[in-house]
Amino acid sequence: MNPPVATSSDAPDLSPAAPHGGGKPARAKGGNIGLALTLPGQIVSVLVLVIPLLVALYMSFTDWSPTRGSLFDAEFVGFENYSELLIWDTRFLYAVLRTLCISAVCLALEFTFGLSLAVLFMRSFRGKSLLFSAFLTPMMILPVVVGYIFWMLFQSSGPVNQILEFVLGPDVALEWFRSAPLAVTAVIITEVWHWTPLFFLILLSGLNSVPENPVRAAVILGANPRQVFWRVIMPTLKPVIIVAFVIRAMEIIKLFDEVFMLTRGGPGSATETISLYIYKLAFNDFQLAYGAAAAFLVLLGALGLIHLLLMPVRNQLLEVKR
Amino acid sequence: MLSKKLTLFQAALLAAALAVVLFPVFWILMTAIKPPTDWNASPAIWMPSQPTLVNFKTLFDPDALKEYGVGGVSQSATKAVFGSLLASITSTALSVLIGLFAAIGISRYGAENKSTPLVILSGRMFPPAAIAVPFVIIFSNIGLTDSYVGLIAIYVAATLPFSTWMLKSFVDDLPREIEEAAMIDGTSRMKAHLTVTIPLIRGGLFATTMFIFILNWSEFMFALVLSYSNVSTIPVQLAKYVTATAGTLYGVQAALAVLAMVPLVIVGYLIQGHLARGMTFGAIKQ
Repeated sequence: MNPPVATSSDAPDLSPAAPHGGGKPARAKGGNIGLALTLPGQIVSVLVLVIPLLVALYMSFTDWSPTRGSLFDAEFVGFENYSELLIWDTRFLYAVLRTLCISAVCLALEFTFGLSLAVLFMRSFRGKSLLFSAFLTPMMILPVVVGYIFWMLFQSSGPVNQILEFVLGPDVALEWFRSAPLAVTAVIITEVWHWTPLFFLILLSGLNSVPENPVRAAVILGANPRQVFWRVIMPTLKPVIIVAFVIRAMEIIKLFDEVFMLTRGGPGSATETISLYIYKLAFNDFQLAYGAAAAFLVLLGALGLIHLLLMPVRNQLLEVKR
Repeated sequence: MLSKKLTLFQAALLAAALAVVLFPVFWILMTAIKPPTDWNASPAIWMPSQPTLVNFKTLFDPDALKEYGVGGVSQSATKAVFGSLLASITSTALSVLIGLFAAIGISRYGAENKSTPLVILSGRMFPPAAIAVPFVIIFSNIGLTDSYVGLIAIYVAATLPFSTWMLKSFVDDLPREIEEAAMIDGTSRMKAHLTVTIPLIRGGLFATTMFIFILNWSEFMFALVLSYSNVSTIPVQLAKYVTATAGTLYGVQAALAVLAMVPLVIVGYLIQGHLARGMTFGAIKQ
């Protein structure tokens, strides 16, 4: 049972049955041990996750900002922050739409590249394990460093422009961070470079665990390689694909580090993601209550989205991890 | 499908992909060993004519740094390196320890809260910028702002879901008959876990520890908003250099970036077989 799948149908059988009958006391005892073992984790989660979330929730219904003294003196404004965000705040709307668009493009590209690479890795060739490590390298690098590297690469006198000039002829030097579409492109390229390896890794482990018999049967029945891939292999891969998408979607919705290093949301607000907008609200403009309300709207939307993503495969998913 | 060889075209594709993957890594390594005259050359220089390690020295030398106009920022990177080590190692140890208890509790005793997945999901998806806000308020009330204790507490909580579920998947892999055998011999449950379960998953324990270290070492957002002058980490320091000098300190910044990424890449290679398990909360085992 894993967190992304919020069901509990594979309730683990409780403690091992006691050797001499007395099932009930042993269960109770096992329950206590289990409780004691998970208690530290529960305490940490409540102290450092649940309480701040509740404080943020309360705050989102006030008009508090640091200049107005204690949070508990702040005026309660009901859903004012929320209605403001939903109805009037076009900058928020654009940040949401922008994040969704960037996420969709990135995930589609990462999936395509990751799957292609994984399929290539199903063939045999020399130096495969070395190459495997090499292809995983990007996902091991800190997001901040990745942002900084690509910031260097995309400088107007940087290597990306040098390569473009070499291929397309002189005078194609692009100002990557001065034009909105180019800045968005730079963000997408950076993100795709950074996280394609995760799709590659997950999909390759999925491909490796596709059972051989159905594949063989299909081949014997006269299926061509294309049919085998799309009709036999891909359907068994579906739960793995969904896991990969859910995991990546959870992370990319918070996209911050790389953009912070690359563009700070610029030019203008052309690359301002949700996280960056909330960060600016809270730490540049000190509209903390308003920022908290924005965060809860995002959380609700994200939970709904992930729920939708998971629906078609909930049952399959529980099988796959067995 | 399984044993076919690569065609020439496919080999070429693979080579091109490899070039794209490795070029940015090559670039940061080369920039880190460029002498100051090569840093901002136009057009950019790909390979330094005279490789040097001076950038790494400058990084830890406040006087040398001042020459580039960074004196006012946060001086040398010594404190950031120390801070990163302190925060990552402590929080990794705590996260794995607490996660290990919880993993055994959940795997062997089904001690699982029905709402746990939802809480974890919410915690993972809530934009960190916003969850940082209540931390700023709470911490300023209990005197934890700009302290390592506060930062470590957040890191532990943020990585706890990963350590718990990754370790749980390793405990799940272990047949419970092994522990039961020890218990029949008269060992108590807790002792059976200590002497049987934990030693048998030590490989998984190592992989989890390294994975959590990667997460903590990479963290940027919380460190950014919760540190002022006492606390610093490498990612924050890197961002500060870039802000303060409009990025013109290429070589020195690259040196810091290399220092930050090299340990992670080594650790990452060591546990590459377990990365998928870690990233998917144990859902995918390899």
